[in-house]
Amino acid sequence: MHDALIVVVLLLVAAAATGAVLQRDPARQAVVLSALGLTLAVLFTVLQAPDVGLAQLAVGSAVTPLMILLTVRKVRRKGRRE
Amino acid sequence: MNWWLAAALALVTGGLGPCLWGAARGSAGRRVVAQNMATLLLCLVFLLLAQGYARPSYVDLALVVAVLGPAGTLVFTRLLGDEIGENPPGLRLLTPAVLVGAPATVVPLCIATGPGRAMGKLVLIGLLLIAGGIVTSAAVRRA
Amino acid sequence: MTRRLRLWVLTAGLLATAALYVAACTDLPAFGGSWHPYGDRAVRAALQQHTANAVSSVNFDQRAFDTLGEETVLFSSVLGTVVLLRRTRGEKRVAPGPAEVPAALRRYGLLVLPVTLLIGLYVIAHGQLSPGGGFQGGVVVATSLHLLYIAVDYKALERIRPLGLFELADGTGEAAYILLGAAGLIAGSAYLANTLPLGTFNTLSSGGTVPLLNAAVGVEVTSAVVVLLAHFLGQALEIESEDGAKDGGREA
Repeated sequence: MHDALIVVVLLLVAAAATGAVLQRDPARQAVVLSALGLTLAVLFTVLQAPDVGLAQLAVGSAVTPLMILLTVRKVRRKGRRE
Repeated sequence: MNWWLAAALALVTGGLGPCLWGAARGSAGRRVVAQNMATLLLCLVFLLLAQGYARPSYVDLALVVAVLGPAGTLVFTRLLGDEIGENPPGLRLLTPAVLVGAPATVVPLCIATGPGRAMGKLVLIGLLLIAGGIVTSAAVRRA
Repeated sequence: MTRRLRLWVLTAGLLATAALYVAACTDLPAFGGSWHPYGDRAVRAALQQHTANAVSSVNFDQRAFDTLGEETVLFSSVLGTVVLLRRTRGEKRVAPGPAEVPAALRRYGLLVLPVTLLIGLYVIAHGQLSPGGGFQGGVVVATSLHLLYIAVDYKALERIRPLGLFELADGTGEAAYILLGAAGLIAGSAYLANTLPLGTFNTLSSGGTVPLLNAAVGVEVTSAVVVLLAHFLGQALEIESEDGAKDGGREA
């Protein structure tokens, strides 16, 4: 059971990371990156590293998408005006 | 046979997998709904893992997800609002899922933990999950 | 060089890297297992220092100097971001208008903000007992404040976020960590040595300097993330160039 969990979550992380790379639009990539962060948090917990999992959760759930989307908004606003 | 870990495995494969699929393809609305569902399932997975590994300190992870997960969804709703508005998401699975899934997980865990501070924490997580789920799904639909 | 030739060179390089990688992976020790020489010693030292969370013990007691370096990295990167994202000559600040937010969402934000704040402070305070600590709890506290932006609007956030105070708190947190290390010197030991009474195992006051360093890191990380997000928000929502045409009524 322990091993099955680790294998499944590792595969999910690999799939999420590949999906994030294949996504070209940065605003939608932010959603996939958020999902990648969630799967990483599960991976760290399943490998018995809850401190790292908590750090990943804290940063990847709200702060990182906020920064990415604000940057996209700023860049698009400038681009639209020129 | 550790039923808690088996349930966590089932939630991860049957829940987080499809959520990942939904977050990677489709319109902005569908992606945000998938992310919202993923944070809800993540909290339940952490609760089950805490019980399965017999490490009650892992419940803190579920506590943090219960508040930061909806916050993340609201970030997307606020900043991707226009894109979601063009193509509103159709499925309305999240509210029933949270209203069924949260008690279905929290109540057996409370019974297994027994009364005390730990059970109070579990009940708080359940309430935060339900409140967060209802508010965020309404916010995404209205974006 | 033609495109085809470049692709052939790339394929050759990738195949060579793959061969080396496979050779290295087959020589690695097995996944998992029970032989952890460093882990055994670290956990034994953590128990000796009456710290229940071995990771916090390694971070703030056995390797406190490395954590000082990491905290300084966060501090200086936020400093660099503040310089990069400041309002320059030729840009002006335009306050965004209030946003239309449904009442249920507003109520959720106002109710959950203190809950999240308390959870963040709980994670910081229990760093030496359960998973968490200054960094994780600090980010949760900073996110709690920004719930006012995402669930209400930008004007509400500005009201509870006096930026000068947070910049001051950032520097104070960083300085507090450095000065706490000096306490070890004053007590006659090494810099950042754990010289305070170690307390009872598994209580809030255990671990000597670990809870104090946790608090310092918590203050520093909260303020750093708030300042960082404040400048991102300012650039995305407020600052625009002087000569640009009006953007037509932007919402927060």
